[in-house]
Amino acid sequence: MLSIKNLNVAISGKEILKDFNLEIKPGEVHAIMGPNGTGKSTLAATLAGKEDYEVLSGEVIFNDKNLLEMEADERAREGVFLAFQYPVEIPGVSTTNFMKAAVNAKRKHNGLEPLDAKDFLKLMNEKSALVEIKREFLSRSINEGFSGGEKKRNEIFQMAMLEPSLCVLDETDSGLDIDALRIVANGVNKLRDANRSFLVITHYQRLLNYIVPDYVHVMFGGRIVKSGGKELALKLEAEGYDWVKEEVMIG
Amino acid sequence: MELQKQFEAIQSNFDAESLPLRKNALEAFEKLGIPSTKHEEWKYTNIKAKLKPDFTVATTNSQVNAAVKNYIASLPPYAFRLIFLNGIFHSELSIVPDIKGVTVCNLQEAFEHHTALTEKHFGKLVNLSDEHFAALNTAFVADGAFIHVQKNVVVNEPIYIQYFFTATDVNAFAQTRNLVILEDGASLQIAEDFRNASNISVQYNHVAEMYVGSNAQLDVVKLQMEVSNAIGVHTLESKVERNGRFSVATITFSSPNTGTHNVLIRNNVTSRLVGEGAHADFAGLYFGKENALIDNHILVDHVAPNCTSNQLYKGVLNQESTGVFNGKIFVKPDAQKTNAFQSSKALLLSKEASINSKPQLEIFADDVKCSHGAAIGQLDENSLFYLMARGVSKQEATQILTYAFAHEVVDHVHSKPIRQFLCDKLKDELQLNF
Repeated sequence: MLSIKNLNVAISGKEILKDFNLEIKPGEVHAIMGPNGTGKSTLAATLAGKEDYEVLSGEVIFNDKNLLEMEADERAREGVFLAFQYPVEIPGVSTTNFMKAAVNAKRKHNGLEPLDAKDFLKLMNEKSALVEIKREFLSRSINEGFSGGEKKRNEIFQMAMLEPSLCVLDETDSGLDIDALRIVANGVNKLRDANRSFLVITHYQRLLNYIVPDYVHVMFGGRIVKSGGKELALKLEAEGYDWVKEEVMIG
Repeated sequence: MELQKQFEAIQSNFDAESLPLRKNALEAFEKLGIPSTKHEEWKYTNIKAKLKPDFTVATTNSQVNAAVKNYIASLPPYAFRLIFLNGIFHSELSIVPDIKGVTVCNLQEAFEHHTALTEKHFGKLVNLSDEHFAALNTAFVADGAFIHVQKNVVVNEPIYIQYFFTATDVNAFAQTRNLVILEDGASLQIAEDFRNASNISVQYNHVAEMYVGSNAQLDVVKLQMEVSNAIGVHTLESKVERNGRFSVATITFSSPNTGTHNVLIRNNVTSRLVGEGAHADFAGLYFGKENALIDNHILVDHVAPNCTSNQLYKGVLNQESTGVFNGKIFVKPDAQKTNAFQSSKALLLSKEASINSKPQLEIFADDVKCSHGAAIGQLDENSLFYLMARGVSKQEATQILTYAFAHEVVDHVHSKPIRQFLCDKLKDELQLNF
């Protein structure tokens, strides 16, 4: 599904990711944890294809294709989805119209006809119920005046609409109260299946109580320094990152 | 032919009452001439180089052609419409309202049957001594729309005034005119639409005078859609009395791929707030393509105290097109408690596009609130990335964000059917099918 090998990425000339490696198989949920400034969000933005991120070396193979050769929009149509840490507000365009454009762009990419109004409405109804988002939010301008929780719910709604094969969640739990967290996590869990993989980036173990990962990785200094099962997240929550740092120093 | 001779040749067609004014206007124009870029108000708009030097102002014969018929057929079903070909009223194509307290006719008829009103209002808002094109128009205009709404009469359906240019002579310089009078407490919505329905380049000079009585409300939309092969000068002068409300939205879309590179549109829109508590609202949206030049000059003159005004202009400039924005806010010494706001924003979608933007505030009262803002730039990179991260191509993302940028202006159009019409046009323009 996703294979990242020896990836080095710089932003404004400063190297952030250093020899980063990760393999994700279909249906797996991987969590990436780590202190601030270790390159977690850089990884997410690089996978999504943000222009300011300069890939110095390494490769990213996604479903047998070289992801790094594609523009952001093509990656999305191929099935990569990034749930933004800070979703953008766009006054003047409704989420509904945005999704109409996005869903049909993907359908065209897959050689399908655009959805007609009736089928699109049906899809909207089904997916908005999944993430418990009110229909009135979808006819409003994208994220404009939304609370933090509403914005994140909108991200998961868009994810449900586009049915990606790789979902990258960049600190989706930040700024969420416990109810919003539960709703967002429920939405994600309903989208889990044998072919869809998740890369969940988070500071806190809390989210992983709801979205239970198959693997937990700890990032430090631009690379993964420790990997384990879900119990690793619990240990980090209880003991902090210092012991990992020490291990790295000794290693 | 010299203008004086052109005037002598056609003056017998004019209403005798208007002749002294027309002669004054001709004299004034002979002094002013066509402005060059040395004139401060025309610094960025070289109309002298664009207008045919040997223009003829006499009315050319008007034929209903296929372009006219097709366009009328494509319009949404407006309840009322006044159709003009080369400035001359075409009664068969028009649907004239028959509402108690409302007079709608062409100017020729108004000069004949509503002389008291025309004498009082025709040529009284334009400044002949320094408005070149208003002077020229006043001297030569043969026909136009006349609307008078009596006290407290409310007209609910918009009146659509459509000017088609079907010239066959490239030197023709059509003169068109509207006179709109709202008595106290009256309410009206109108659209002025201008369209080249010929195969050649057209030149026209439009003047509108609009009177808004106390507590009256006049909403105007100026439509300059799919502009190609046209040099158009528009002058709108309005006067608003106590607690009256005036709004005008000027929408200019230059058509792509004309191949002849000949679009120059100049809008002079003025509102004088002469009664306490009057309000004027100016909205503008323009799309420039190829080497079109779209120039908006706005003037709001706060004469009386406690008046408010708002200017919101947005431009989208592609290829080598040029925008000009000049927004004047004058606050006279008596106009205390004025609240005036101006915003001009332009998106430059190519490296060759340009905008000359100038706010001009002249304030002679001390207790006022006036502010202005101008922004010129490209689309927000984060927004583009957000849309692209959902699979939308860069081109479509650009179109969606341009729609978002422009839509705010369309929202300012008061008349619902015209707003819907514009919303659809905007989507067509940006090739969006949502």
